[in-house]
Amino acid sequence: MTSRDPAMRQATGRIWSPARGYFVILSLPVIFLAVFFIWPLAGVILRSFGGDEGIFFQYLTVFERDSYLKVLGYTLQVATTVTVLCLLIAYPVAALVARLQGSWLQLAFALILVPFWTSTVIRTYAWMVLFQRKGVINDALLNFGVIDAPLRFMHNNIGVHIGMVHIMLPFMLLPLISAFRNIDPSYMRAAGVLGANPIRAFWHVYLPLSMPGVSAGVALVFITSLGFFITPALLGGAKNMMLAVLIEQQVTITVNWELASALASILLIVTACLYVVYDRVSRRAGGGGVLD
Amino acid sequence: MTWNSSGRLARIFIVAFTVAVLIYLIMPTFVIVPMSFSSKSYLSFPPPGWSLQWYQTMTERHDYPQAFWNSIKIGVPVALLSTTLGTLAALGVVRGRFFGARPMSAIVIAPLMLPQIILAIGLYPIMAKFGLAGSYPGVVIGHTVICIPLVFITVAASLKNYHPAYEYAAMTLGAGWWSTFWHVTFPMIRVGVIVGGILAFTFSFDELIIALFLTSPETRTLPRLLWEDLRQYVTPIIAAATTLVLCISFILFGAVALLQRRLSKASKS
Repeated sequence: MTSRDPAMRQATGRIWSPARGYFVILSLPVIFLAVFFIWPLAGVILRSFGGDEGIFFQYLTVFERDSYLKVLGYTLQVATTVTVLCLLIAYPVAALVARLQGSWLQLAFALILVPFWTSTVIRTYAWMVLFQRKGVINDALLNFGVIDAPLRFMHNNIGVHIGMVHIMLPFMLLPLISAFRNIDPSYMRAAGVLGANPIRAFWHVYLPLSMPGVSAGVALVFITSLGFFITPALLGGAKNMMLAVLIEQQVTITVNWELASALASILLIVTACLYVVYDRVSRRAGGGGVLD
Repeated sequence: MTWNSSGRLARIFIVAFTVAVLIYLIMPTFVIVPMSFSSKSYLSFPPPGWSLQWYQTMTERHDYPQAFWNSIKIGVPVALLSTTLGTLAALGVVRGRFFGARPMSAIVIAPLMLPQIILAIGLYPIMAKFGLAGSYPGVVIGHTVICIPLVFITVAASLKNYHPAYEYAAMTLGAGWWSTFWHVTFPMIRVGVIVGGILAFTFSFDELIIALFLTSPETRTLPRLLWEDLRQYVTPIIAAATTLVLCISFILFGAVALLQRRLSKASKS
């Protein structure tokens, strides 16, 4: 608007404009992420179309070979089961914790956050110790006469699920608790006064109001579970492999970068789509997207 | 009457269930601690006798102290670098009013949501090209990519806590951008920045997958050494190293809890 007047242009150029200034500030992290985040991802996608056998060869291999399809199916299945289990376990616990006050609330928060701060390698190692043939769990079960022979927890489905639910549970609990604390308790009392029995009141009042927390927790747990590596690699068996473990093996053992890149691209696209869908949904629900 | 009594039963059940779940959450981690003081080489609980021999073995071995210092040497620069970049990103996205601020924050947060294995196999060829594979800068950069969103989230949250009018006021009164930042903005977001930095250090200190791809036997971190040992045998040395890591994590956790309490007190007053 003032570009024709050189004096004015010089003046506006000198005035510290906050909006423009912050744009300049952004350039440093953006350049860093472009080089060390976007470029590597683009490289993975490009490499998945590489190789001597043709552009889509790796993807055809993945979708034609039963063993790879089984890994994809198992990954989806584990992520779904872990998410459902976490939701079922976390919902009542979060509802109770959200109503606590003072030091009880702090204690509960500390108990939820301590595992949050403990490395996944360490927590998985703890489960390996507990799950051993002569581990704590088998000893206890044998002593109490629940079982006659040691159970196998490791290198099968049970171990992976117990371990992953343990690691994912705080990710479900924290958004649920924050959603529950935003529910005004007078709504439930109002429903009761108006004649709704507790189940009806829960179904028509509490549950709908808790949905932002549910969707945040479900999205977080499902997305993280899809790419889980450490726990399935240590506790899982060779028969049932999760996608991230297969990707790592394709690189380090088979040294098939093209196939690993194709598998990683599939994981990348699924994760990115879920992330976008989740952000849209949570913004519409009014809970504020992950990005707000 | 019937609703009341069944309601009470339900409440007792929920309380018992909650206690059980909280025990499930923390118990496994603490089983390791007594095992690290075991007098025997096998892991049983409770340990058959007590000794400090595994801590002694750990310090006498060459690889554990080296991996521990590597983790520090990598974690500190990661914390500094990601705090700088994450704070800049938060300032730009939260305070800047320009088209594209939203997609920008999506890109900044994305590394946290993405499975780390994808970034690891993407970064490795690039680091190899620059000759950084297996070096300290290589893994520091890899961790920083994922830690920027951690800092970004905490700093953005503290930036949203107060109105930019303070900054405009300072600028109107003649402060330049640096003195505005240093005397007005930074004091208000300081706790967020420090918490973000601690989170970044903790993340780097615990991270495995990027470290698996981007470190060498000379630069390998403690989680990677634990991982390599775990795949071969489960001995109390790992329990001893793990207890050490737990102590450090909890000290940092305590520091963050204290800082956040101070922050919430400050925002109330």
